[in-house]
Amino acid sequence: MSDKRGQCISGGEILLEQLLIQGVDTIFGYPGGAIMPAYDCLYDYLDRLRHILVRHEQGAIHAAQGYARTKGVPGFVMVTSGPGATNVITGVADAMIDSTPVVVVAGQVSSTLLGSDAFQETDLIGMTTPVTKWSYQIRRPEDVAWAVARAFYIAGSGRPGPVVLDFTRDAQIGKAEFEPRSCDFIRSYIALPEPSDEAIRQAAEWINAARKPLVVYGQGIILSGAEQALEAFLDKADIPAGSTLLGLSALASDNPHFMGMLGMHGNLAPNIMTQECDLLIAVGMRFDDRVTGNLSTYARNAKIIHIDIDPSEIGKNVPAGLGILGDAKEVLTRLTARIQPRSCPDWAMEPILCNAVEKHKVIDPEIHPESGPLNPGEVIAAVSDRCRGEAVILTDVGQNQMLAARYSRFTRSRSFISSGGLGTMGFGLPAAIGAKIAAPERTVIAFLGDGGIQMTLQELGTIMQEGTGVKIVLLNNNWLGNVRMWQELFFRERYSCTRMLNPDFRGIAEAYGIPCVNVESRDELGPAIERMLAGDGPFILNAHIREESMVFPMIPPGKSVDQIMLNAQDWFEYGD
Amino acid sequence: METESLYEITAYTENQVGLLSAIAGIFTRRSLNIEKLLVYPSKIEGIHKFKILTRASETQIRSVVLQIEKKVDVIKAYYAIDTQRSDQEIEDVKDFLSRREETNR
Ligand SMILES: Cc1ncc(C[n+]2csc(CCOP(=O)(O)OP(=O)(O)O)c2C)c(N)n1
Repeated sequence: MSDKRGQCISGGEILLEQLLIQGVDTIFGYPGGAIMPAYDCLYDYLDRLRHILVRHEQGAIHAAQGYARTKGVPGFVMVTSGPGATNVITGVADAMIDSTPVVVVAGQVSSTLLGSDAFQETDLIGMTTPVTKWSYQIRRPEDVAWAVARAFYIAGSGRPGPVVLDFTRDAQIGKAEFEPRSCDFIRSYIALPEPSDEAIRQAAEWINAARKPLVVYGQGIILSGAEQALEAFLDKADIPAGSTLLGLSALASDNPHFMGMLGMHGNLAPNIMTQECDLLIAVGMRFDDRVTGNLSTYARNAKIIHIDIDPSEIGKNVPAGLGILGDAKEVLTRLTARIQPRSCPDWAMEPILCNAVEKHKVIDPEIHPESGPLNPGEVIAAVSDRCRGEAVILTDVGQNQMLAARYSRFTRSRSFISSGGLGTMGFGLPAAIGAKIAAPERTVIAFLGDGGIQMTLQELGTIMQEGTGVKIVLLNNNWLGNVRMWQELFFRERYSCTRMLNPDFRGIAEAYGIPCVNVESRDELGPAIERMLAGDGPFILNAHIREESMVFPMIPPGKSVDQIMLNAQDWFEYGD
Repeated sequence: METESLYEITAYTENQVGLLSAIAGIFTRRSLNIEKLLVYPSKIEGIHKFKILTRASETQIRSVVLQIEKKVDVIKAYYAIDTQRSDQEIEDVKDFLSRREETNR
C-alpha cells in the first residue's frame, strides 16, 4: 500500500499515486510546459511507472489503444496542453467509436488563466466532449484522486470508451492530503444493465423455433469476455456465426460454427446467410453501414434479436424485434441454459456453396497465384500460417486492413486490432507498439500500407528507443491502394492524387537501426518471414506487392449484402 | 419520410459543468434546431432539469433521448408531445435514484 496515504503531496504526485492504485504500469506520453509539474513528479516514479516517450502525441494515444485492446485494461496517456492535447483527439475519437478504454491526462494552463487565451490554452473539454465517454477539468489538487478513480471506472466499465482529464497547472503544483480513492458506482450511470428475464425467455422461444438462425457478433464479445459463452451457445444450438471486423479472433478461425467476416469485404457465406436466415441474433455489434450495406433490404427474411450493453444501440440502425439489454456474457450464458439442444440441418447448403465459389474465384487466385507479382493476400496468409494463428495482428487502414482481416487465422481472442469505426490511417504502427508492450510474450505483427505507415512513421523512433519487438510487414504498392481501387471501380479509372513516390524504406529502417529486408519475388518471401520471426527485436519486411491490387469480394456501397462482386467483372449469383 | 412534430424532451441530471454543451452537441450533430431550452433545479434536491423543445421525427427523438441518457451525469431523459407528465417523471426519477442507492449498498 502507498506510504503517501494521509500525506500532503502535490496534485501531480497524487495523480501518480492514484495511477498505481488503478493498476497502471505504462504511460504513453510526451511532455510540455503545462504538464511539466506532473512530469517532474514522474521522475521519482519511473521505477514503478514505465514511460514510453512517443514521437508525436497521436502515437501515444494509438499505442495506448493497442495496449488496451491487447490486455483488456484501460490504456493511459499523458500529454501537454494546446497542441499536445489537440494531437491526441484523432485517437480519442477512434477510441470512442471503437469502444476502447483509454484515459488521457492533458496539461492545462493554470486555472487563473483559463479563458484568457494564455499560451497553449485550448478548450480541450469543449473539443473532446462529443468524442469522449466523460471529460473533466481538474482545477484543485483535492479533486485529483477522485477524478482519476472515476475516469478509470467510466473508461473501463459498461461499454468502454475514452475519458479526458484536463489538468490545470496549478492543480498539479498545489498540495492536498492524499487519500486513495476507488470508484465502482455512479448513481446516474448504469454500467451493467440487468437483462430482462422476459426478454431472455422470449429470445429462447424464437431460437428454438427458428429454422435458419444466424448469429452476428462484434467486439462486444471480446469486451465482455464472452468468448466461451458464445462458443457454448453456438454449440448447443448449432447456429452458424459471422463476425464484424472488430469481433475477429473472438472465435477461433477453425471453429465449425465460424462462417467468416461480415460486410463489405467479408466472406460470401455470412453475408448471403444474412439474407437467407429467418432469425438474426446480433450480439455486441452495432450494425455499422459497412456491415449492413443497404439497410432497407438487410436481413429481409429475418426476425431480429439485438443483444447489447448500450441502450442507445438497440434499434438505432436496424429495428430490433426483440432487444436484450445486458452484458454479452451474462445474456448468452442465460440464453444457453434456456434453449433446446438442436441441430440446424436447413443450413447445410449455403456455406458449402458460398465457400466453394469464394475459394475458386477469390481466395486461390489471391493467395496461390501461379505467376506475376506478389499479392498482398499471399504475403498475409504466409505470415499468418508461419505464426500458426497465434500472433497479435494489427493493421492500418485500407486494403492492407481488409486483406489482413480476410487472410489472418486466429487461435485466441484479442488477436486482431484495427481501427474500425473511424478508419484512422496511421493507427497501425503505434498501436502495434502498445500491443507489444502489453503482451511482450506474444508475436506482434503489423500489416501496414505504404500510405498509412508514413502517417505515423516517426514512431520508428519509439521502437528504436524502447527496442519494441514489433514485426512490421509493409504492403508496399506505391499507391494509396484502397482509394486507387475505388477510383478504378467507381470513378472511371481517374486516378486523382493517389500515386505516391515512396522513400527507400530500407534506408529509413537502417537510420533507425531496425533490420529490414526488401522482398520483390515469391522465392524471397519465405526466407524473409523466417528472418523476421527469428529474433525478438523489431523488423520491417518491405514487400513490393502488385501495384494494382484489389480487394474482393466487395459489396459496393449502397448495395445489399447479397449483391457481391467477385472481381471487377463478375457478380456472385446465389441460387440461380 | 416520417412526420415531424414538436417534442418536449426533459432530462434530469447531476449538477455538472459542461453538461449543457454536451447535450446541445447531440442536437447540433443531427442538425436539430432547439426551439426552446430551460435549465433549472428540479423538485428533487440537487438534481437539475433540462427542458428542451425541438422539432423532429419520433425515431430521431427516441435516439436523441437515448444519447442524452447515455451521458454519464444524466440520470433520466424523457420525451413527449403532451407536457403534462412532470409529476410522474419526478416520481420515476426518485424511484430510480432509490433503487440505485440500494444496488450500491
Ligand atoms: C487519416 C486518414 N486519411 C485518409 C483516409 C482515406 N483512406 C482510406 S484507405 C486510404 C489509402 C491507404 O493507402 P495505403 O496506406 O497505402 O494502404 P493500402 O490501401 O494500399 O493497403 C486512404 C487515403 C483515411 N482512412 N484516414
